[in-house]
Amino acid sequence: MAASSSARGELEKMGIDQLKALKEQADLEVNLLQDSLNNIRTANARLESAAGALNDLSLRPQGKKMLVPLTASLYVPGTLDEADKVLVDIGTGYFIEKTMEDGKDYCQRKINLLKSNYEQLFEVLAKKKSVADEAGMVLQGKVRQLQAATTS
Amino acid sequence: MSSSMALRDLQRDLESKANDLAKIQKDIAKDHQLRKKYTIQLGENELVLKELDLLEEEANVYKLIGPVLVKQDLAEANANVRKRIEYISAELKRVDASIHDNEGQQNSKREAVRTSLSQII
Repeated sequence: MAASSSARGELEKMGIDQLKALKEQADLEVNLLQDSLNNIRTANARLESAAGALNDLSLRPQGKKMLVPLTASLYVPGTLDEADKVLVDIGTGYFIEKTMEDGKDYCQRKINLLKSNYEQLFEVLAKKKSVADEAGMVLQGKVRQLQAATTS
Repeated sequence: MSSSMALRDLQRDLESKANDLAKIQKDIAKDHQLRKKYTIQLGENELVLKELDLLEEEANVYKLIGPVLVKQDLAEANANVRKRIEYISAELKRVDASIHDNEGQQNSKREAVRTSLSQII
């Protein structure tokens, strides 16, 4: 609370134009942070569905009949080979062969990493948002003061 | 007559200084974009290196080259990723230095514009 009141003192001292510029800047940053948070959430959802698919795959017996997608609209019948090895995409075009266990572990690790990134970003967003809101309120107050001064 | 010509000269001077400033600001913006790109690439490559380090010796590594998945040697993949990380870090440092220089130039151009403006007014 002490921190926000001293920040408020700073904001009160600034001119209307400066306040407007600060508020616009803060709003822009809040939007950028929101976009990043959304991206993280999407990536997390994809990872969770990948982990779910892995779990499902590990339950299937070897030799089970399945349909293999060749294109988005063409599937070909096939049989499930060894479900113990999986190829994991680790980025920049590299794939590594892992066991089912390691594959699940990889997904879990990535999900945890993204979760902690999400939380860190969320904190930064909350702080920026409060700065933007404070600036907005102080700005409104000043504009009202100015209007009252010019009309009286 | 001479005073209006002098005024026009000052205005032209102000315009050219303002153009210089705008150009430097565009360069700085471009450098920031580049810096963002390199930072993302660096992060991705470091993730890959971490995963590769977790692997055991005989584990299979494949690289996607176009539409082809090619088997790679773990040591070679490690070396490649490390080299890429070195290259990207060097490029990032270069861009940072460029941003630093341009920001210094931006400040001096701003001052020049200000003095030009004050001469006219």
